Amino acid sequence: MAIISEGSAPIALDGGRKARGNLTRARIRWVIAALAVVFAVVGGKLVQLGMIEADSTIEGQERDLITATRPAILDRNGLEMAVDIRVPSLFAEPRRIIDVDEAVEALRSVLPELDATWLRHRLSGDKGFVWVERELSPAQQDRIFNLGIPGLDFVTESKRFYPSGKEAAHVLGAVNIDNQGIAGIEKHMDGEDVALLQSIGLARGNALAPVNLSIDLRVQHVMYEQLADSLTRYKAVAAAGVMLDVRTGEVIAMASLPDFDPNNPATAFEPVDGKKDQRFNRITSGIFELGSTFKTVTLAGALDSGLVRITDSFDARFGIRFGRFTIDDFHGKHRILTLPEVYKYSSNIGTIKTMQQWGKDNFRAFLSRLGFDKRVPFELPEMRNPNVPEKFSEIVAATASFGHGLSISPLHMAMATAAFVNDGYMVSPTLYKRSEAEARALYRPVISPRTSAAIRYLMRLNALEGSGTRMNKAAAGYRAGGKTGTAEKVVDGRYASGLNLNVFTSAFPLDNPRYTMVIIVDEPQRENEQSGVTAGWNAGEVTGRIIQRAAPMLGISPDFSEMIDTNLVPVELR
Amino acid sequence: MIRTLNVLLVGTSLLALVGVYGLKYSVEDTASERARLERLIERQEGQLSLLKADWAYLNQPAHVAPIVVRHQAALGLEPAGQAQFGSFESLPMRPVAQPDTVALDALFESLDAGVDPIQQLIEMN
Repeated sequence: MAIISEGSAPIALDGGRKARGNLTRARIRWVIAALAVVFAVVGGKLVQLGMIEADSTIEGQERDLITATRPAILDRNGLEMAVDIRVPSLFAEPRRIIDVDEAVEALRSVLPELDATWLRHRLSGDKGFVWVERELSPAQQDRIFNLGIPGLDFVTESKRFYPSGKEAAHVLGAVNIDNQGIAGIEKHMDGEDVALLQSIGLARGNALAPVNLSIDLRVQHVMYEQLADSLTRYKAVAAAGVMLDVRTGEVIAMASLPDFDPNNPATAFEPVDGKKDQRFNRITSGIFELGSTFKTVTLAGALDSGLVRITDSFDARFGIRFGRFTIDDFHGKHRILTLPEVYKYSSNIGTIKTMQQWGKDNFRAFLSRLGFDKRVPFELPEMRNPNVPEKFSEIVAATASFGHGLSISPLHMAMATAAFVNDGYMVSPTLYKRSEAEARALYRPVISPRTSAAIRYLMRLNALEGSGTRMNKAAAGYRAGGKTGTAEKVVDGRYASGLNLNVFTSAFPLDNPRYTMVIIVDEPQRENEQSGVTAGWNAGEVTGRIIQRAAPMLGISPDFSEMIDTNLVPVELR
Repeated sequence: MIRTLNVLLVGTSLLALVGVYGLKYSVEDTASERARLERLIERQEGQLSLLKADWAYLNQPAHVAPIVVRHQAALGLEPAGQAQFGSFESLPMRPVAQPDTVALDALFESLDAGVDPIQQLIEMN
């Protein structure tokens, strides 16, 4: 019986019917309460499920980043230089592996190169994800799959493959195992936008448009082959070359030996003949005293100033004394030379006299105008600062006029030579495709078209009568011209006689210049008893052979008419 | 009234139960089919990328050049020399041939005489 009393209220007894009704209402409340608890639990669980963040990373990296692809790299004609291939990589989930020893034994039957203790350590523990071996072949994948070990699985990764192998190694660079560029144009592309696309997960599938480079793989092959040949033919320690399109600044070919295999980037650190760090790109990150090829620069600047005329003559009978030093000519004529003869016979005395008539401060200012005291604006990350003295003293200016006492990269020289033959318009080199109209917007005049015509004449004259005749013999008909440079190398702070760095700068066809080339051969030796060691014998011959093979590929047909050479002669000299 | 409604509702629930059960399994089937297709596509894309890489490799000058060298002697291959290039402009004009008046006169005379040398040639064959 329920007796409800409230304070001092009078006691009332309820009837049986009312009491039952109260009981029912109480039961309903209990049921509602119970249901509310059940729903609260369900709701709470839902909220909890919503809060869980699934860990989709693989050893701290986003899965997308690991399977990220890179754009294919094509040459200027659409031939592949770098492509992505999909390869399986093996990973393990140690917490799901039942018998570690059995798994180790079985895995080593397919991958014997894995170390047993390392693998056992790797597979034991309670981790959710560990790499076992990355970038397997499809055959290996099938065999591991057939082992049927629980807790092992595959993920498809993108791997970079360079079908051209070593040929364009320094242009392309390399990527690391996570597909990030670590050298060459690959690194530059990452700096641009690929890394950004990868980081926001867009670089998946084959969505990325391929990138066209300015390189012509056929010409690149010819240059690489000839440079490799020069290493054996002249027993040189290194050789490098670059070819530019003078109108657009596009790099048509660039190679540097010794090199590395971009498919196996670790080869870049292998020593050459016991010497370390020999596999760098000598065109961009090597700086050299480029020797007599620098006379082109000196004469171009002097002629352009108007202070020196092409009809001038210079007394080269006696060496020039600076204190205790006397600068003389190599194989000197020791007579009065006209300016074209100074160039043709590569007279140091004549060049110094030319520079002195022009003025050493004008000379220094001209080098700045050519951009010789800073890096060449270029895509490759492997660049080095040139070494050009801030102010020229009399003797420094004198040695600099024939290319000693200052170091620039061969790419500097190629860029300057391109401007000298291209009516004096300088354009910075590029590894991407660039149209002539785009290049015109970037043109910077460094010398006048008239001086440019005189330089074209001088370069052709040197090929016909001077030190470039061996080059011209191979490249006959392609109207090539150039300048040799044989620089004694500095070893332990002294010029070492017998160790030369030989350079040949060239341009072709000189009646309508399209291409310029710089070839360097480091420490060449005589090919045979009759041959010499100066640049015309090695760097010059290499240049000639490259022009002979590459010019038809570049759409230049040979022309033997003598009118072309006579038309190159400036009016003053006719 | 309420009884019929209840029976109806129970019937509907049973139908829905069976329907959802069936749907669940068909969705699972579709999902596994999708996963299978995705794996197939991934595998084929992988194979395609390998084939493309193969094609690129086989087309490289670096790969073709050694083959050329290997067969140089057998096929008599030589790099093209400068003299082997030419253009239509460099071809000399064809020399203007003088008409052979003697032969023409003879032809006209024989035609006048009623003998056709061409006809004779045809008949001989």
